Amino acid sequence: MGTMGLALPWKARIASVPRQRETRVEPSEHFAGGPNPAVVNAITEDAALAAGCRAGNLQTYERLYSIHGARMRNLARNLLGNLVDAEDAVQETFLKVQRSIASFRGQSSFITWTYRILINTCYDARRSRLRKKEVANDDSGETERPEPRAPGAHPSLRMALERALATLTKHQRDVFLLYEVEGFRHAEIAGMLEITETASKNTLFQAKKNLRMVLEPPRSNTAGTR
Amino acid sequence: MNETCKDRDRIFEDGTPGEWAALEAHSANCPVCAEELRAWKLLSVAAQEMRDYTKSPAFWPRIESALAEEAVRKSQRTERWSWLSLFPRIPLGWQTAVAGAFVLVLTISAGWLYFHRPDHPEEHDKSLLKSAALENVERAEAVYVQAIDKLAEETKPQLENPVTPLLANYHEKLVVLDSAIADLRAQAGLNPSNAQLRHQLLAMYQEKQHTLEEVLEARKP
Repeated sequence: MGTMGLALPWKARIASVPRQRETRVEPSEHFAGGPNPAVVNAITEDAALAAGCRAGNLQTYERLYSIHGARMRNLARNLLGNLVDAEDAVQETFLKVQRSIASFRGQSSFITWTYRILINTCYDARRSRLRKKEVANDDSGETERPEPRAPGAHPSLRMALERALATLTKHQRDVFLLYEVEGFRHAEIAGMLEITETASKNTLFQAKKNLRMVLEPPRSNTAGTR
Repeated sequence: MNETCKDRDRIFEDGTPGEWAALEAHSANCPVCAEELRAWKLLSVAAQEMRDYTKSPAFWPRIESALAEEAVRKSQRTERWSWLSLFPRIPLGWQTAVAGAFVLVLTISAGWLYFHRPDHPEEHDKSLLKSAALENVERAEAVYVQAIDKLAEETKPQLENPVTPLLANYHEKLVVLDSAIADLRAQAGLNPSNAQLRHQLLAMYQEKQHTLEEVLEARKP
């Protein structure tokens, strides 16, 4: 990881709950008039988690799990396509945090750092799985289908989206999952994927445009402008 | 703010809250933008369907157990190296004294080994590098070379002033043979135990001997 010490602005610290979905913009990134108390709390929480993990306190790791475990598991599941690999990746992430917490210098948020480890662990797992497939000479041509999940309000919509996501580039898929599914802000995604915030916004835009084309081919007479 | 259809993609990519509000207002009177906005939002709705934060009660105990095992392994590794941590507790003066004593012992040992090394190492070297058989070969070769040199001395007057083309040819051949012998001797000197080189050298000497004998034959009336 070349830029492990990527500095994030204080307002880019990750909140313990996903971003509110009512609006498609990021209100917290445009506010004025002093620090937001929720963000200040998030920074305090982040520092406390980092300190507890550095001290080897298992209760802190449990707290980290209780706040972020479900989101980490869901992200890993969406990146890897199945729950078994996802849980392995999350467990490996906790172990990597424990092993390398001494090298964490606090230049980015502790949670951003943790999610970056998770994403890299998922990439490694994906690569390892591909290598195993090559060794097994599995050339059946079938693409891996995600495991069935708990039924939601729009199961057919979700399934269509999962199929459409498979047509995106890896980068577009990752940014879409982090922003739209997990509710991270662009500044947070930039820290996790080691890209700029502008690149994150642009990649999301391209991802959504491509998804629209796959899910809903453009009609010939709808391209007009006023 | 008066947004138009042209601004739609830019707002989708990086619009401010004000621009989004203006686009919403514009969409009320623009069916194309209204449709685009609806489709854009639908993707976000569908994305939320991919969020499954159901609890997994067995998962944390599994992670906790792995973390505890890793912590035990880490502490065992630390214990293994903990004897090194005693060293900083010793005062600096004592550390210097111990280091000095260690250097002194090392110097005395090296000096003792130097002054008590074997008296005639070159003899041991010889015995190591050359076997008795090889010495015999070299002695025989030296005698053989001396004999051929004597033969060459006898043919020297004819070869230096060849009176016939045949003698001139013999002279040329002997010059080439001497050159080849010199090369092979140099190689054999670098690698005395190489039997192949010794055989080649012997063949060259034999050829030189035969040529010299032919020169002597040619001298006879």
